[in-house]
Amino acid sequence: MRTVSVLSARLVADVRDMVVEQREYRELLVRITARDLLLRYKQTVMGFGWAIFMPLVNTAVFSVIFTRVAPIETAVPYPLFAYCGLCTWNFFASTQRFAVVSLTSNTSLVTKVYCPREIFPFSAILVSLVDFAVASTVLVGLMAYYRIPVGWPLVFVPVIVAVHVAFTAGVALFLAMANLFYRDIKYLFEIVLAVWMFATSVVYPIERIGGRLGTLLLLNPMTPIIDAYRATLLERQLPAMGPFAAAAAVSVALLAIAWLLFHRAEFQFAENV
Amino acid sequence: MNRPGVTFNGVWKKFRRGERHDSLRDLIPSAVRALVRGRSDELAAEEFWAVHDVSFDVAPGEALGIIGPNGAGKSTVLKLLTRILKPTRGRCEVRGRVGALIEVAAGFHPDLTGRENVYLQGAIMGMKQAEIARTFEEIVEFAGITEFIDTPVKRYSSGMNARLGFAIAAHLDPDVLLIDEVLSVGDARFQERCVERMHALRASGVLLVFVSHNLTAVLDLCNRAVLIDRGRVRFDGHPAAAIQEYRRVTSNRDAGRPADADIHLAGVEVFDDRGRPVQAIDTGAGLTVRIHYKTSRPVERPHFAVDIHRGDGVYCHGTNTRLARLDLGTIDRDGHIDLVIPHLRLLPGCYSLSVGILDTHAVKPHDVQFHAYPFSVTSTCRDNGLVSLEHTWRVPDAQPARFSPVRTDRTDRKVALR
Repeated sequence: MRTVSVLSARLVADVRDMVVEQREYRELLVRITARDLLLRYKQTVMGFGWAIFMPLVNTAVFSVIFTRVAPIETAVPYPLFAYCGLCTWNFFASTQRFAVVSLTSNTSLVTKVYCPREIFPFSAILVSLVDFAVASTVLVGLMAYYRIPVGWPLVFVPVIVAVHVAFTAGVALFLAMANLFYRDIKYLFEIVLAVWMFATSVVYPIERIGGRLGTLLLLNPMTPIIDAYRATLLERQLPAMGPFAAAAAVSVALLAIAWLLFHRAEFQFAENV
Repeated sequence: MNRPGVTFNGVWKKFRRGERHDSLRDLIPSAVRALVRGRSDELAAEEFWAVHDVSFDVAPGEALGIIGPNGAGKSTVLKLLTRILKPTRGRCEVRGRVGALIEVAAGFHPDLTGRENVYLQGAIMGMKQAEIARTFEEIVEFAGITEFIDTPVKRYSSGMNARLGFAIAAHLDPDVLLIDEVLSVGDARFQERCVERMHALRASGVLLVFVSHNLTAVLDLCNRAVLIDRGRVRFDGHPAAAIQEYRRVTSNRDAGRPADADIHLAGVEVFDDRGRPVQAIDTGAGLTVRIHYKTSRPVERPHFAVDIHRGDGVYCHGTNTRLARLDLGTIDRDGHIDLVIPHLRLLPGCYSLSVGILDTHAVKPHDVQFHAYPFSVTSTCRDNGLVSLEHTWRVPDAQPARFSPVRTDRTDRKVALR
């Protein structure tokens, strides 16, 4: 019984710490994000154009595959279906790509300066979020081109974004931390990410897989999130509430656990970079 | 928040030799243990105490120097203070706004311009954007890089980098400033300005903790010093005494070195003219430098040399027994030799003694210790320059009563214009 109360007291103290620190260092988070954005597009000709270019090229490629080579049925025109999936998936994937090396590439800061280390993976999220915002302008353009009407379910989008960000952040914190201790993570996760994309309804509706594998894939929280975007944005429907609520719960729990672990391991970072 | 200060209370910190985990198999049980019980604070295999039960307090307005041989744990102490590391046991606390300079340009990114880096580094050090904007001009001017402020930092010289880094930290307006060996960068003039700035910060009540190998700078800047050796506090008190102790500790250790030299230095003591050990001497007072030596084999006609340098490196005086045409004969046992300076004509400041034992021709050294023995000179005399030359002012056809003759403590008569 005593152990429980000690543990919960420690939990409360940690959570308070985490919140206070983030507030105290919000300026730094903004600065680091600005730095990363600036660096990302410094000495590039296209600048933010790159945020649009990649999902556009992928959309073109998959459109050829899934309308000519192996045509599939989708509720909306395929390019729209694919772009919506790709640009939302891209936010998740590119955050992870930045986050995984966020601590190891800031060695001098991690070992020489005190600041809450969450700032580094968090700034990876913010940078990708800016790209996501830029890329979604093309989605709006595509929707206008295909004359997709919008409806009231649109008000649900902020909730989807919040869940999406929470899940992304949870995974990002884990990856950043894990890569600090085991550099294998950086290579391993590239493979996992590639497989994960095809296990999510990014370029095709996941239901088409079916069978036992299909059932297994229902456990993937990214699918309900991306499906929810499509439902609210393209089909004027509410997301499928059961799976989405489950995904939301998983995301929040994951973020809470990852953040807490990250916070507790933080003091070992400087010794392990 | 209560008043600023530093508390270091029974702090222990362990490190591990080699890598943390060899495989995932080790990780999982240890991670589970860490989660359930917190980290163990006992030593496991391959671990050692880098900081071993260290305690000290620093009050506002104090400047604490931390000295010690390489690997003694000085920087670990500083990293514990800045919260980069967490103590294994004990409590360490810094109250007030902390400015830390572990490495001057730690937060700089080579691809960003000087301007962008100032804002970034400022934010890293906890400054608000408005504060940085307010002191921006001052920072750039202090660093002396006004014309290069929009150039990417990767094209800066290392000196410019360091200057900009220090300039930001110097304008941080902290309650507590933690500094790790920054005076080794930049040219002499810039170093001088750094010291000046740190003096000014200290005078304005900033608490300073200063880790350095530059003993003269510690003596100059600090009013207290802690000697750390192998993770433990060996001495805590007046900087000069701490430095003396530091010399003693390291020369004892050196005594165990292989006797490749037939004769070597075994320590240096400095006495005033009443034979008491001192670290601070008045201008014009007498001084005796006692050089202890140890021999392992008879040495034929060696010579002893003493050099005095000012803190900024100016060579003030050098002499040796050969110049004095002294023949010491063959030395075959341990002993000491004294250099007696009846009137030390140096003006106030920090100085250091270098001592050496040379061969018969006073060319090849048997053993030399450079800048090993810092001392300070104090005086009421406010003359400028390096040495205090005996002098009087004489005004033709005037009443000498217009001038008040001032006798400095033990100096010959001097007249100062007031």
